[in-house]
Amino acid sequence: MTEEMKRQLAELTGIHQGLSNLAELDHETVLSGTLPFEASADGLEPITDKFEIELGIPHVCPDRLPRARETAGRIERIYPHINGDGTLCLAVPVEQRRIFFEQPSLIGFVNRLVIPYLYGYCYWKQHGWHPFDEQQHGQEGIVQHYIDTLHLADELAALAVVCFLLEHGYRGHHACPCGSGLKVRKCHGPALRDLHRHHTPQTVRHDFLSVFAICFSKFQASQFSFPTPLRDQVLRILGRIKK
Amino acid sequence: MTIDVRKYSRFLEQLASEIDIPPGKYQDAVDRYKSVGAWLEDGEYPGCSGELSIYPQGSFRLGTVVRPIRDGLEESYDIDLVCEMPLRKERTDPQSVKSIVGDRLREHGTYRKLLDAEGRRCWTLEYAEQDGIGFHLDILPGVSDAHGFLDTSIAITNKKDSTYSWSASNPRGYGIWFDGKNAAAFAQAVFEQKEAIQRRAPYIYESIDNVPDQLVRTPLQRAIQIMKRHRDFRFNHHARLDYAPISIIITTLSAHLYGNETHIYSALCGIVGKLHAHAALVEGKAIDRSLSSMGLIQRTPDGKWYIGNPVNPAENFADRWHEDNHARARAFFSWVGALQEDVVNIVSTTDLRLLKEHLSGALGAAVVSKNFDLIVPTETVIDSPPRIHIMGAAKPWRAR
Repeated sequence: MTEEMKRQLAELTGIHQGLSNLAELDHETVLSGTLPFEASADGLEPITDKFEIELGIPHVCPDRLPRARETAGRIERIYPHINGDGTLCLAVPVEQRRIFFEQPSLIGFVNRLVIPYLYGYCYWKQHGWHPFDEQQHGQEGIVQHYIDTLHLADELAALAVVCFLLEHGYRGHHACPCGSGLKVRKCHGPALRDLHRHHTPQTVRHDFLSVFAICFSKFQASQFSFPTPLRDQVLRILGRIKK
Repeated sequence: MTIDVRKYSRFLEQLASEIDIPPGKYQDAVDRYKSVGAWLEDGEYPGCSGELSIYPQGSFRLGTVVRPIRDGLEESYDIDLVCEMPLRKERTDPQSVKSIVGDRLREHGTYRKLLDAEGRRCWTLEYAEQDGIGFHLDILPGVSDAHGFLDTSIAITNKKDSTYSWSASNPRGYGIWFDGKNAAAFAQAVFEQKEAIQRRAPYIYESIDNVPDQLVRTPLQRAIQIMKRHRDFRFNHHARLDYAPISIIITTLSAHLYGNETHIYSALCGIVGKLHAHAALVEGKAIDRSLSSMGLIQRTPDGKWYIGNPVNPAENFADRWHEDNHARARAFFSWVGALQEDVVNIVSTTDLRLLKEHLSGALGAAVVSKNFDLIVPTETVIDSPPRIHIMGAAKPWRAR
């Protein structure tokens, strides 16, 4: 474990003292215990509760973010935001990274992602709806995230954006992938720069494959066709990923 | 004491880094000033021999930038540049030097549009940026005024009404002096910080070696940033603006008093405490002998004030402190007192709500509440669960 990770763990357990069991595995550090909290949000009632939580903290964190699990079976199976492997589905990956990097530490991860998630669950349980809205599942959710946060026209525009991020990262003087005809700098500059900053090669590739899959299924259903330059770009990227 | 000072130091560190210029913006600013420099260099100036040189001075050079506050709002960064023309001082005059630079800037399609009305000493290019965080480039024309081979003194131009005159300045020398005061702490911090900056901004810096020294911050630089921020909040009303302690005084005194402390809190404690110990000077009383022998802030026999420029003792940074019944001196020491209360003594507060209110009032509500959980003392957590206010929560999702 790095010194930095030790410091972050100490900081986290200093505040959330119930998280007291520490185990060192091959690829990750597992921290588990009780996580009590008293949380509120703008315009929403405060909720006090506690959950049994297990955090899997990869040794390569923050290249890969920690994952959280609820271990006492409090979160009902009908709650739709639990992944197949039982981890809590905190947000679309790149959004998770964006929020994480606002305060890139374990305490930030718990306070900004895990506790809001648990608060959202408690609220949903009491009121039947999600206080922070919810994202569609799977690949649709990822595409939708791009469309919503960048105000894009459709899935194809989202594909152009992830292709751009994957091939160029951030380039202010290129034409903006959203299709506005403006330079990136005068169009989606700050948003693209943020995305680029929070992506890793793995996460951007993952998003590319997701967005491409959605676009491809629409293409097969003849809902739209690919413009030639975008098609060539996609083929180029797919070729490289295969290698 | 309820607050862990190490946590508090980290909180201050984080806060200072948020009011600092971010690496991306720093790089933009460097690119901008390099292109201005290239444009100025390409010009043809009758009577010039050799190359002109353009270099940053002030907080951008010293690594003590803070995002300015005007009327309570975050404003554009100020970046000061010196444009040293290869002209002999005795063969030219201030007005020509000033106008050569202004004319050349006006020849450029873009710069002409960005150029503000002529300033007292400089030309200002105003860059409005896409992301709303712009900057002013202040370009200060000057010529060398060196008396000796290694002397970096320059003469800058001064416009009053419509007559021009020379003033002495030595920003390069000051930068070197400041670096000297900062050197030991810099050596200690450089590697770890460059690594962290590269990790956070791999899209700007491919490797640690590409991270410029100018982005490393020692506890001295951080302390100065916090002090300047506190000053900006305290003197944010128009009526008091004129008396606000100027940055060069804060920077000079802090650099003199910094004792290579390794944490920002201990650095602040030392600097602010020693400044506070000078307060008796306002009443004309004596101060601690170890301080008076340093001679950092002096009363002259005629009751005026002296804070010398370390690279040019003839220049007195406090030359206006006696005006209006010592208004600037009084403002300075009352600010130091507030700094002691708001930022240093605050660690002994027991009431968390008060602590947050205090810090928010002193340093800005947004940055303080954003980072407040960094200092939540552990003792209070034992009986009550951590209190979290959720802002900007993510939408839950599922990978399928």
